[in-house]
Amino acid sequence: MYIIGAGRTKFGELDASLEGLAYEAVSRAIDDSGVSIRDIEAIYISNFLGGPVNGQLHLNSMMSSLIPGCNIPIVRVETACASGSSAMNQAIIALRKFSNILVLGVEKLSGPSLIPQIDAIAMAENRTIEKENGLIFPAAYALIAQQYFKKYGISHEVLEQISFINHRNANRNPLAHFFQKNVTMDMIRSSRMVSTPLNLFDCSPLSDGAAAIVITDKKKTDRDIKILSSQIATDTISIPERKDLTTFKATKIAAKKAYAEACLTPKKIDLFEVHDCFTIGELIALEDLGLCEHGSACHLVEEGRISIEGDFPVNTDGGLKANGHPIGATGIAQIYEIVTQIRGEADQRQVVDAEYGLAQNIGGIGGTCGITILGCL
Amino acid sequence: MYRCISCDKTWTHPVKKCIFCGGGIQCEIPGTMTVTGFTEVFIHSVNNEKVPYFVLLLEDELGNRYLKKTFENYSIGESFDPHEEKTSSPVFGVIGTGLLGLQICEFLITKGYSTVVKTRDGHTNHKTLSKIDDKLSRNYSPNAVTEILKKISVTTSFSDLSGCDFIIEAAPENIGVKEEIFKALSGICDKKTIFSTNSSSLSIDQLAGVTDRPDRFIGIHFFNPVKRMDLVEVVVGEKTSHETKNRVISELVDMGKKPIVVKDSPGYVVNRLLLPQINEAITLLEEGVATKEDIDNAMKLGLHHPMGPFQLADYIGLDICLSILEVLYHENKTGGKKARRSPLPAIQ
Repeated sequence: MYIIGAGRTKFGELDASLEGLAYEAVSRAIDDSGVSIRDIEAIYISNFLGGPVNGQLHLNSMMSSLIPGCNIPIVRVETACASGSSAMNQAIIALRKFSNILVLGVEKLSGPSLIPQIDAIAMAENRTIEKENGLIFPAAYALIAQQYFKKYGISHEVLEQISFINHRNANRNPLAHFFQKNVTMDMIRSSRMVSTPLNLFDCSPLSDGAAAIVITDKKKTDRDIKILSSQIATDTISIPERKDLTTFKATKIAAKKAYAEACLTPKKIDLFEVHDCFTIGELIALEDLGLCEHGSACHLVEEGRISIEGDFPVNTDGGLKANGHPIGATGIAQIYEIVTQIRGEADQRQVVDAEYGLAQNIGGIGGTCGITILGCL
Repeated sequence: MYRCISCDKTWTHPVKKCIFCGGGIQCEIPGTMTVTGFTEVFIHSVNNEKVPYFVLLLEDELGNRYLKKTFENYSIGESFDPHEEKTSSPVFGVIGTGLLGLQICEFLITKGYSTVVKTRDGHTNHKTLSKIDDKLSRNYSPNAVTEILKKISVTTSFSDLSGCDFIIEAAPENIGVKEEIFKALSGICDKKTIFSTNSSSLSIDQLAGVTDRPDRFIGIHFFNPVKRMDLVEVVVGEKTSHETKNRVISELVDMGKKPIVVKDSPGYVVNRLLLPQINEAITLLEEGVATKEDIDNAMKLGLHHPMGPFQLADYIGLDICLSILEVLYHENKTGGKKARRSPLPAIQ
């Protein structure tokens, strides 16, 4: 199984509509793939909030309107912020039946919204336990950060560094939401409090954007990237249903299966795309993915090992924090970045000799995790 | 928390039988809990308009975990008794269980305020609660409704209102009835209690005059439907103190309302503008100038009002419209303002 084409839009607050974003990403992925749109036999769409924000469901049929006359099977997959990796996973399973499949992730969050975006995003949480107690999304991750800080005796400073590194990487990615935004440590430290201990620069933005990939059952050219593993694991939706908030069980389970399937260990992997919807998520991901022991990820950050030049480059595109978080597109954009890096086409942010990459895509507060491992075989 | 008595699996959702081993389920009700984590939230969302607030992560003796929203500061390791929760939110007393009275109660308890509601006789006690229960059930899960309803108590006795921080009177629009209520409350309530009326047109000064606390008397005029209409007219009488006014405004803002300040005068702002318009619409109909449907359409399509004057008059209730018009008419007659033309347009 191979990825033969990848394309994405710029992320940010964009004028384009849901359809406009979808069309642009699909066109770019098709142009990149060397196959025609007529060769695509099925499409999997990842989208989270088309219903509550855009008032648009039945996205598979909306997609059909963008490729008139094709009339192929199209299905939408929704697992909150992990929709991208989940759609990818389902498409891979469908390669038993089809030869060329397109996976599209798309989200339009800015502009008119049926309900306020923050309330729409809270739909990824339990609608009674979290919602009725005011534990909106940033507050849930704040509680996780508070628990992590308490358990390991660390301070907010390491999260500030994560934010800084992601913004620095995004400045090397022209398609990133915050490309060319000059972010200083002072700005990060003095940004307004959102939910203690997290401030504004711990939070990923609301972005519009789309990303698409074309997958196939046979290798066609040397630019094709091999899919070594795609795994999904789930966990309880609600925070009180978990005993330990400082680790995501779904990540550990999916990662263990994915490493086994790909016959790789974390040390063999050249770059990681992790789900930093909040900076604390990145810290926990480094540990859950086995890059270091629990409680010691702060050292990886402080020693510069997660920078593009380090031995564990993380979120080379800027991550969700600075590349942006168009929710349905996020998981596909992570895969787009790894494909670009392994192909050696990442320009300013290229990781030297990148051969293997791993993407970790989280839904909700760790209720879903999709892990994808790609390589240049 | 629901636990399987055979294999120890737990659920937050009420299940009847264990899907793993078929075992029976027991419901574990938390006793005293310990605060094991918290976050202070600074951004508002639907139903969380007042910020900052805290969300506590709690753990009971059995290791079951819970979340709890509160406005009070707790530290890690502190014990939390759900029955003796710290609170600094004021307690409200609502008088009257008519349309607005019930809506105000429902609004207050969904915002987390303890509320005592006074009805005229005991028979309506159960009815009052079931009416509010019905309304809440449309928007909240059964468990949440049970929690919200814990905030309300129904009484027939004024003495149960003695400890309230605010009284909101929503009795029928009759000056005599309202005067009797405030006379009774004057002897009973704590000196600090702020008295308010939800009257849509009556004189604050006249009502304040029968109480022992004209400085702590104010108008708090909600609009129907209370939970959806953001506007509240805060009606300031001659003797209402700045402190009373500020306290009321700050509490209304915390509830998510958008108060405006109005001097005591007949009909305040909204009704003073609205009722003459409804009256004129009726005159137009009487004169045969247009049909009532076309008059409604004129205001809806020409001035972008969501409802026409006849629709709105029906919604308010014709009896209430009439009583407000009587007040405006009486004031005009005695005040000599009838048909007086405002000089401002002529100047311009």
